[in-house]
Amino acid sequence: MLSIKNLEAGYGKVKVLHGISIDVPKGQVITLIGSNGAGKTTTMRAITGMIKPTGGEVTLGGEKIDGYDSHKIARLGLAHSPEGRRVFTTMSVNDNLLLGAFPRFTGSRPKGDIKNDLEHALEMFPRLKERRNQLAGTLSGGEQQMLAMARAVMLNPEIILLDEPSMGLAPILVEEVFKIISNLKAQGVTMLLVEQFAAAALKVADYGYVLENGKIATHGPASKLQNDPAVKAAYLGGAGGH
Amino acid sequence: MKLKSHIPLLVAIGALICLPLFIHNPYYIHLTETILIYTILLFGLDIVVGYIGQVSLGHAALFGIGSYTAGVLFIHFGLPIWASIPASIVVTAIFGGILALPALKVIGPYLAMVTLAFGTIAQILINEMTWLTEGPLGIKLSKPSFMGAAMTEAEFFWVVAAITILALIVVDRFVKSQMGRAFEALRDSPIACDCMGVSVYRFKVIAFVISAGFAGLAGCLYAYSEQYISPNTYNNELAVLFLLGIIMGGRKSRLGAAIGAAIIVLLPKLLDDINLFRIVASIIAIVVVVGASIALSKKVTTFRRVAIPLTGVVGLAIFSFWLNSIADWRLSIFGFMILLVVYYLQNGIVGFAKGFYQLISGKTKTTRGGAVESADDSVSFISAVANKNIGAELLSVDSVLMQFGGLKALNNVSLSIKRGTIHGLIGPNGSGKSTMMNVLTGIYIPTAGTVLYAGESVVGKTSSDIALSGIARTFQNVQLFGEMTAIQNIMVGLHHTFKSNIVEIALHLPRYKQEEAEAHARALALLKFVGLEDLANEEARNLPYGKQRLLEIARALALDPELLLLDEPAAGLTAPDIKELLRIIRKIRDSGITFILIEHHMDVVMSVCDTVSVLDFGQKIAEGKPAEVQADEKVIHAYLGT
Repeated sequence: MLSIKNLEAGYGKVKVLHGISIDVPKGQVITLIGSNGAGKTTTMRAITGMIKPTGGEVTLGGEKIDGYDSHKIARLGLAHSPEGRRVFTTMSVNDNLLLGAFPRFTGSRPKGDIKNDLEHALEMFPRLKERRNQLAGTLSGGEQQMLAMARAVMLNPEIILLDEPSMGLAPILVEEVFKIISNLKAQGVTMLLVEQFAAAALKVADYGYVLENGKIATHGPASKLQNDPAVKAAYLGGAGGH
Repeated sequence: MKLKSHIPLLVAIGALICLPLFIHNPYYIHLTETILIYTILLFGLDIVVGYIGQVSLGHAALFGIGSYTAGVLFIHFGLPIWASIPASIVVTAIFGGILALPALKVIGPYLAMVTLAFGTIAQILINEMTWLTEGPLGIKLSKPSFMGAAMTEAEFFWVVAAITILALIVVDRFVKSQMGRAFEALRDSPIACDCMGVSVYRFKVIAFVISAGFAGLAGCLYAYSEQYISPNTYNNELAVLFLLGIIMGGRKSRLGAAIGAAIIVLLPKLLDDINLFRIVASIIAIVVVVGASIALSKKVTTFRRVAIPLTGVVGLAIFSFWLNSIADWRLSIFGFMILLVVYYLQNGIVGFAKGFYQLISGKTKTTRGGAVESADDSVSFISAVANKNIGAELLSVDSVLMQFGGLKALNNVSLSIKRGTIHGLIGPNGSGKSTMMNVLTGIYIPTAGTVLYAGESVVGKTSSDIALSGIARTFQNVQLFGEMTAIQNIMVGLHHTFKSNIVEIALHLPRYKQEEAEAHARALALLKFVGLEDLANEEARNLPYGKQRLLEIARALALDPELLLLDEPAAGLTAPDIKELLRIIRKIRDSGITFILIEHHMDVVMSVCDTVSVLDFGQKIAEGKPAEVQADEKVIHAYLGT
């Protein structure tokens, strides 16, 4: 579905990514883990077109998308649930979700049954259903995270990019967020998951990539990475996790 | 090394001083003099626009007040320029303080409107107060006399040049001192600025006062330079022009101010003369074409991105030759050029040139403070808390109620924090933890209840007073001063260690120099403590997220706190980072500092906290030793999950 080959990107002359390759096959959950400053957020930004890659290529469903603007990439079916949530705080939960489906209204994505999908999304996130008419800014951090994810679902996307969905959430909510991710997976949604909480991410993912200093240090099936002693020591260590 | 970097500046100064020796036409001397005077004003305006990040349209009026102070003193009292310069500075600075008062309440576009109104009112008053200002007739002055005779244009030029150089030195020293850091800090994060004990309120006023002082000085010189002043000069159009000067030249740059001043003085003249305009339009076109081809050949830009500006400048050059007379097109061309500059050079000419040079030369960001130094290990960076009365109550929160409309974010919460302990505060998102932090640091004033810190109530005190009394904090959504380097961020935290005043800063007197050196050494030591020594000269916004969190802790420590509030320090950190964080927290605790720790990573809470309180829906639902809390049914249900 999404394929990244030898991607290079950075800020000005400072190169952050030195040629990374990631493959996200349809219907699978792929996770990208790594320490602070390894380049995870830069990878996300390069994929979504927020920064322009300086080398390599990104293809979505066979179409080359590197160099495209973010809104164009979104219209091609790449939904992004950004780090730090970024919901539209002065709009209601309902309106936030409908905005997620915006390209479907304008005809740049297949329309489908938006109303039905909205109800379906609210069923999937019961906390949001209770608050559908509330302003998004009045939601708690956990609820905003759910909203960002639900909004991504509303695009009826080919793939969802989840950037740090568990950041700053109470343990009980982290559990809920990962439950939702596995629900989405069960429905066949393709996802690329960036997460600091590597143990949980590897549990839900099919395949994992470990990013170190802007390069892929190792990759393999998630079950294998979970037991890899080097990965364990660096990312799953005693003090990590919840 | 230091001298070498100053050579271009010294050459420029030398050329300036020699100018009247080679150019005898008084018109050109006067033109250069006007540029210098505007430069002084823009130095001051840049403090408001570039450093504290506010838009002022009141600077034309301040400029006018400076001029009229000199004019009034001249015709009514016959005072010489040596007396009217300080008088203009002081009077205008006072008006700057008045202009700053609304700046404390309103920001952004609203402040711009207020300053615009100030400008209009000042102009009307000057016009109406005929008994003082001669009204619309204006005031005529004569050039100051020197050794009995009136100064020639060249002699007065030297006076202006000397004062400009002095102004350059003084403004440069101001913005590089603790005061300049305070200005930048309040621009980047007012809330963090207050919580570092640097009163946003106070420093906004100070910035406006200093800025107005420069406007007053410029105004005074302008009065003597023109030898005639009238109210129409100081209109709102001039205010916009000044602002344009800063935007086009480049903010936070003295060179930018000079370039901006040159543009706003010369551009109207340039557009008067078709031949001159043709030459300049061609030069600009050549420079842009050459620059763009270098950039294209080095593959740092794409043809699409440079296509429009290229067409624009080349088109302008061709257009200039096609034109027969420029008179009808003046304003359109002026507007077009401004549009190009503002749209394509958003960081101003200086900012763009710097970025371009870095891009072309391949050098990574040149750091502001020069090479990375290593910290001196003998510097004590955490002052051990004097009163080591471990176990005594340091902070007592008693039935605090915090109500927002109908929502009780905190509902009768009481906490007792003991000295030298780490007190955990956990609970679901939205349960009131961050609200509690904001109540403790004076950002919110509780609806009811008492908060006693070391026996004194903090309710109603300002954030900066609370910070200075020893409560430091970090923020859930990191609040660093983004455009400042890591070490400067910490030096804002060390602001309280500075006692020197503006005179000491301007003259670099020993006390200021010593304070600066001590703060620098301590900031480095603090950076080393959190492992960021190598990143000292990196801008905070460029640091990875986890490092930003550590920098916030170091900055908080710079306040010499007794109580340190950490709001989710481990959020977004990986397992190895968290281990490092725990090491740092324990080490700080060992020096006697007390903690309140909000955290969702339960293993962090479990491993360092002495006591844990649990909030849910604004109420305290459990409290006790970590293990007890972890086993509590209510806590499991509301927070931990299974």
